[in-house]
Amino acid sequence: MKVDIETLLDELVRRHARGEPLDVQGALARAGDRADELATLIEAYLERAPRNAPSTEAMELVRSLDDPPMLRARVGKRLRVDDVVDAIVTACDVQPEKRPKVRRYYQQLEAGVLDPSRVAAKVWDAITALLERPRAALVLPRLDAPSAPAAYLRTEAPYDVQLTERLVTRASEPVDRDEVDALFLGNG
Amino acid sequence: MRDARDAEDARLLENGEIALLLAGWVDVIRARCIAWMRGPVGEDVAQAVLERLWRELKAGRHGDGKLPFRVIVHSVIGWVCRGWNEAGWQETELFDLDVPVPDLADAVVMDLTLEQFVATLPPGDGEVAALLYLEGLEPAEVADRLDKQPNAVHQAAHRIKPRLREWLAA
Repeated sequence: MKVDIETLLDELVRRHARGEPLDVQGALARAGDRADELATLIEAYLERAPRNAPSTEAMELVRSLDDPPMLRARVGKRLRVDDVVDAIVTACDVQPEKRPKVRRYYQQLEAGVLDPSRVAAKVWDAITALLERPRAALVLPRLDAPSAPAAYLRTEAPYDVQLTERLVTRASEPVDRDEVDALFLGNG
Repeated sequence: MRDARDAEDARLLENGEIALLLAGWVDVIRARCIAWMRGPVGEDVAQAVLERLWRELKAGRHGDGKLPFRVIVHSVIGWVCRGWNEAGWQETELFDLDVPVPDLADAVVMDLTLEQFVATLPPGDGEVAALLYLEGLEPAEVADRLDKQPNAVHQAAHRIKPRLREWLAA
């Protein structure tokens, strides 16, 4: 069947005018081998199009932007904590009986209270592969980032993340370390 | 060109209603990122665009009103989409607010709006296009509103579709 690019574009423009969600992915799939051509036209349209009134879903999404980024990424992928824990356990060959400990550490990491720099690379590999986001996009911006201007620092971070991390990790520093501790707290 | 939407965005910025402002752009950001990236990875790119814009808004940027917020939105979209596949780019540039983000040359394009397309059409077709593309009416509703035969509206729509494509491709 011949793909009518103009009709696909027309449908999309009218959906947008009605304030309905835009199924760009679906339109590109219907365009078949002319998807590239349609994508260029959709882009050009969206650059010129009016925005619509925000939906409830859009408001919720924007409000979630203040959540820790790893939590946001996981929820965005509709994954449970246990899905990520399973991936870490498998990737790092953790013994089944130590899974609850991995889960605790992961939740601390996700909440932004565990120093991400101490977490082993293979744990990060498992997390970033599952969440499909680079590590930098999953950790809270650091207060000690050398390029951040002072004015920005005062307004951006509601609390001292680094200090919180130090307090939490010191308070929970295990006496008898095992391989799970080493994975999340490093060897130091 | 600034229009009513720009005025509303400026009002929201001035009143500090930045969540409401950004929420209004979510659908456009997602759709354009998916189109630019040619696939579902655009969802992730859109998330990064939203995170960047949110951090900028919270840091009090763009409140001076020098540029319409839509220009800033599309500039950030372009900047993130262009950089997304560069090795290491996401590790630094995206999250460093000191990096001068947008290529504001895009602002030239931003002077073109859909209303201007409608204005390029002959009066009869322009009326139909405005109701279809700006108000989102169905053809039957357009016929009713303009007191035209449904077939006349369909014929006008048939003429308008290639014109829209040509205008966007220009």
